[in-house]
Amino acid sequence: MACQAAGEEPPRPCCNGYSELPSAEVRRALAQYRPEKRSREAAAEGGELPALEDAYLSILEGLGENPARQGLRLTPRRAAKAMQFLTKGYQETIEDILNDAVFDEDHDEMVIVKDIDMFSLCEHHLVPFFGKVVIHLRKYFLLLFFPRIVEIFSRRLQVQERLTRQIALAITEALKPAGVAVIIEASHMCMVMRGVQKMNSRTITSTMLGVLREDPKTREEFLTLIKN
Amino acid sequence: METGKLGALREQLPPRTVSCNGYAPEEKPPPPPPAPSRPLEKPRYSQGTSSQCLDSWKEERTRSEEDNEMNLPSLAAAYTTILRSLGEDPERQGLLRTPWRAATAMQFFTKGYQETISDVLNDAIFDEDHDEMVIVKDIDMFSLCEHHLVPFVGKVHIGYLPNKQVLGLSKLARIVEIYSRRLQVQERLTKQIAVAITEALRPTGVGVVIEATHMCMVMRGVQKMNSKTVTSTMLGVFREDAKTREEFLTLIRS
Repeated sequence: MACQAAGEEPPRPCCNGYSELPSAEVRRALAQYRPEKRSREAAAEGGELPALEDAYLSILEGLGENPARQGLRLTPRRAAKAMQFLTKGYQETIEDILNDAVFDEDHDEMVIVKDIDMFSLCEHHLVPFFGKVVIHLRKYFLLLFFPRIVEIFSRRLQVQERLTRQIALAITEALKPAGVAVIIEASHMCMVMRGVQKMNSRTITSTMLGVLREDPKTREEFLTLIKN
Repeated sequence: METGKLGALREQLPPRTVSCNGYAPEEKPPPPPPAPSRPLEKPRYSQGTSSQCLDSWKEERTRSEEDNEMNLPSLAAAYTTILRSLGEDPERQGLLRTPWRAATAMQFFTKGYQETISDVLNDAIFDEDHDEMVIVKDIDMFSLCEHHLVPFVGKVHIGYLPNKQVLGLSKLARIVEIYSRRLQVQERLTKQIAVAITEALRPTGVGVVIEATHMCMVMRGVQKMNSKTVTSTMLGVFREDAKTREEFLTLIRS
């Protein structure tokens, strides 16, 4: 990993870009997309499935339900597999999907991909949050990979601010474009289904890097285009 | 006369395949709570010897506040295991209190197990000489799919034809809350709401329509973003009379 090559001890485990790291290390940490090899392989082989199933079984019992009734008999397994699917981003990396899909095209204008559906899990309550992602890029890149980049980082235990930043930094590290902007608008079930219970609230986060951060005119053009 | 009408309503209910919390009659109900938080109350709307299914709306609680406190550590431990099994580090800052938050959230999402209809209805049944349809629509509903433990969210529309008694309107939403804040199947949820209103009010007819989005279909599995599931239960005159049903369905659509 890059931080090991630099002679530093890797943050533990560093694949999620934790906010307590200093900013230079944040960029390095965010660039380290590979989770620990063991957990990745083990999860891929389903080695953790029995532990997850047992945990869900004890959750059902702890909630006062009867896990032996027909509707719940296979629920621990289904819930465990569902949770593994919802966090499958830990097993995926940017390198997996790039595969020489970067093309040098003489295209200097904006590329915007919007309304990318995003589904993630709030790391504080383990409850879904979902919404739409807009990505802007000033470099040609095979467009179908934008949703896949969103998938890699959203299918994890996340915080919306970090998710936005990770997508932007991942694109920056991989493609080195002139500018990148990522905006996410999402609805958090932890606010809608519990807690304050505000049905219609939406959270919007954005990260602008490069020319979009520095040049207000470019930023304004981008924001106008996505408003339509 | 009321007994006759109730008997007629009962005959129209589908054959008993599920009971109280959705348990099939031959399956074991959950164990009783170790220490009830309140002394057991006489059900307000006792019907004498009713069938097991139709007593669902006045079933005893399966959970109390003490149960919640007692079970919280084991729930939190289960969530810690889940975090570890997913390859995450439960010691990192963002996840340090997550097991407790997730356990408390899950207890909130299933708080319907702590409540019964008789708790909620109290004195909100009034004698009114009103025999036109009463509809409360667009009641937000949030529930948990019992198969995947993933939320499904939507709207509930309830209509009933009073028979000399009306219910406080917010109590309809409370009935929805009690049954939706459980591990549910949308079909069962719809029927439980309809049966509860029937038992409480003995109206001429009840109609319940639920339109919901299932995250287990949207976020995983087939991943169909825009799909909605619609279920309905029509009892009494809503089932027998097509015009009444049509009026109800038209009004909830407008």
